[in-house]
Amino acid sequence: MTEPGRTRPRRLLVAALPGLVAAVAGLALLATPRLPLAALGVELLALAFWLWARLGDDRREQLARWGWLRRPALALWLAAALAISLPPPRALAPPSAPGLAAALETPDLTAAPTAGGRDALAPLRVLEALAVLWAGLELLGALPLSRPFPDVTGPLANAGPWLPAILPAMGFLVLWRQSAVWTPAPLVREIAALALLLAAGLAVLRAYTRRSWTASLRWLVVFDSSLAAMLIALDVVPGRIAFLLWCASAGGRLMALAAELRGATTRRGRGLTRWWRLASWTGAASLSWPLLVGVAFAAGRFRPAEYFALAAPVFLATRLTLQRVIEAPERRAIARPDAARVVSLFGAFATLVLGPLALLFAWWSGFEGSFPGVLLALLPAALGGWLRPRRRAGAAMPPVLRVSVAAGATARDFALAVFRTVTSFERRLAATFGAVLRGLGAPARDLHTGDAQEYLLFLVGVGVLALLLPLLR
Amino acid sequence: MTNAVPFATLALAAALLLRMVHPQRPGLAGVAATAFSWLALTPLALLVALPGATTPQRAAVGAALAIALLARDREDLAQGECALKLTWVLAAAFALSWAGESLLALAAGTVPSLEQWPALALQLDPYGLWSAALALTLLAGVVLVGGAPFHFWLADVFHGARAWLAPLVVASLQVAGAALLAHRLEGIGAFPAGAALVRGLITIAAAAALVGGAATLASQRRPERRVGTLASLQGALVLAALASDPGREPFAALAPGSLTAWGAHLALALTGAGTLARFLPVGAPAADAPAVLFRRHPWSGAVAAYSLLSLAGAPGTPGMLLWLSVARRLALTRHSGLLLALALAWIVAFAVTAEETRRAFGSPSPRPAPEADVPWPARAAMWTAAAGLVLLGWQWWVV
Repeated sequence: MTEPGRTRPRRLLVAALPGLVAAVAGLALLATPRLPLAALGVELLALAFWLWARLGDDRREQLARWGWLRRPALALWLAAALAISLPPPRALAPPSAPGLAAALETPDLTAAPTAGGRDALAPLRVLEALAVLWAGLELLGALPLSRPFPDVTGPLANAGPWLPAILPAMGFLVLWRQSAVWTPAPLVREIAALALLLAAGLAVLRAYTRRSWTASLRWLVVFDSSLAAMLIALDVVPGRIAFLLWCASAGGRLMALAAELRGATTRRGRGLTRWWRLASWTGAASLSWPLLVGVAFAAGRFRPAEYFALAAPVFLATRLTLQRVIEAPERRAIARPDAARVVSLFGAFATLVLGPLALLFAWWSGFEGSFPGVLLALLPAALGGWLRPRRRAGAAMPPVLRVSVAAGATARDFALAVFRTVTSFERRLAATFGAVLRGLGAPARDLHTGDAQEYLLFLVGVGVLALLLPLLR
Repeated sequence: MTNAVPFATLALAAALLLRMVHPQRPGLAGVAATAFSWLALTPLALLVALPGATTPQRAAVGAALAIALLARDREDLAQGECALKLTWVLAAAFALSWAGESLLALAAGTVPSLEQWPALALQLDPYGLWSAALALTLLAGVVLVGGAPFHFWLADVFHGARAWLAPLVVASLQVAGAALLAHRLEGIGAFPAGAALVRGLITIAAAAALVGGAATLASQRRPERRVGTLASLQGALVLAALASDPGREPFAALAPGSLTAWGAHLALALTGAGTLARFLPVGAPAADAPAVLFRRHPWSGAVAAYSLLSLAGAPGTPGMLLWLSVARRLALTRHSGLLLALALAWIVAFAVTAEETRRAFGSPSPRPAPEADVPWPARAAMWTAAAGLVLLGWQWWVV
């Protein structure tokens, strides 16, 4: 006879399987450079979250929480439809293939615009680029409407706290694989860089204010993904190098988050904890270093504003990483041998190696920095590692976590106030925009009252207009 | 060339199945009454299948037949109200267009439209006369295709009329309107001033239809009315295609004789979506238990949702090819503003129908499904419509 306690998880696993298949397929499709497949990928991800959200007892809350995932999918579908519909900028000639093939002919988006004359479809090409950017930024949590998602847990009972962390990963994949669509458009790179910088700053502030390490890790994945996407937006390193750097930093955090949910296996034992601390620091430093070199010291000139805007969050993130990865207390007298520890050690080693290896590839592909820029670019991460506050022996919780947020003007209090001020301003802005849209749409709702006589009057009015309109040439 | 006759026949068969859900009387007399009312739909199906043969007179007869069918059941107040509204609107629209036709014939000195354009190109008549007349001739067509602000009658018919009647009434009148517009504007290239005027007027009408339709769709609550508004967006597609090149047949990029293809798709998609709408909850939260159709027959529900999604032009459906065809035509003729409106309408339509589908599937419920069953003819009608759509998509893909 099967125990009821065991059948329920098994039943839940079976019920979660369609969502799992959709999510894995979505991830696989996002890795392809084709826009319609990327749109399908995000749609499948949204489907997976919807399927999972329906299963739990808190389904009402979860369904409302993850409904926004259809927005990035719609943005990508719009971009894909525009890519199929718009002719190449160079030649606005009739389609080469007849029939349906003409309707589905994909234009060459890399073709240069015509030298003479204005491209009447240029605004739509920009819209296409903005739609892709919107999708990527929203999945990254870099837009006001989706900003709070790393604060909440996902739909499944066991994997719930981990699931939201895959969304920034998907956002980065969208921005990386579809970079050929959105980066050539005018001003889009600049918009992306600004949005990503703000997202990185807010993410690290929120990670700093959260007491739970799992929640902080989710925010740090957003931070790392924003930095990696910035590498692409500003064309600092080739996309595949940015991907490797992202794997080293955000990939490590994703592994750490999964391990946290499985008994904090990254923090079991002093040796393993040290390995993970070193690996996380190396990953974060490897990601931030080329960005600081490429942005703050580009063309041999020092840009202090850009340097400090990037260095401050990098310093805080590095400090946070080292401060929070502390050895978990072992409750057993004799620790049991655990295969998860071996996997965790392997993950730490991979994370440790991947960052420097990516930097080596970057150097190989032509990435160079000026002196002393290369050293100054390493400074925020180095300071974050060096200026670690000393903990009292035996104190399991770092000092920052022992200070209550409500206690007074602490650094955490300040960070929380900044985060809340910015996000509440964003929310108000979005709400105002929504109210304006609703106000504009209200006449459409009130257009017909259902009275047949009014229909007739309306039609006669339009008839009179049809008589008068041509005369107003 | 797409042959719409098999697809119109499928729509007619689905209408018969839906008619069987509501038998009038038991016995042979009831069967005869059912068959008779269904047979009366055949001329409407012919309007869908053969848009090339549509004339203003045939369109008017079709409209009269539709009104008569709606008004026939005196006990059904909702249908009677639809009939009354349609009478008011269509009679006035046909009268105004008829006045325009007469004025245009007066200005050109000839009745056939193909002969009118060269005569008007001589510029012997005052601008005010021919321009006002030309604008009025388009009015009946614009009202019949149902683009906003004339989208009210479509939603009313889907809301008030029976499931077996509404799809073919709406599809036939819309196809008749599109055919009237296409025939009226045939050869207008021979009269450049007229072509410029018509392009401007239809561009305004198409933009209003797309934006107004999208705004209405986003604010509606009843699934039946949403289907009606989606139908009005299909009418907006015709207007947008005509605005890009008034003298050319709409959807010409899709296939030759493409108005028939559009009509066939419209009839099938409206049949499936209109039937599904009767089983959908009104404004239910997504966390609620699924609708009865989706609890007892989830595959039938999924199949019907395919028709609804095709009506909205969702990716992977034949409806998507229609939207893409018009978008490409607008892009080639550099109508960027209209293309933007089209993109907006498409996104809203896709978002609303996907949300509707999600709400219909709801959340799994541990409670047993309700006793009330979904009649098999209704399910068969949904399967028939979806099968027709798959065939249509396959045919377009092969072409």
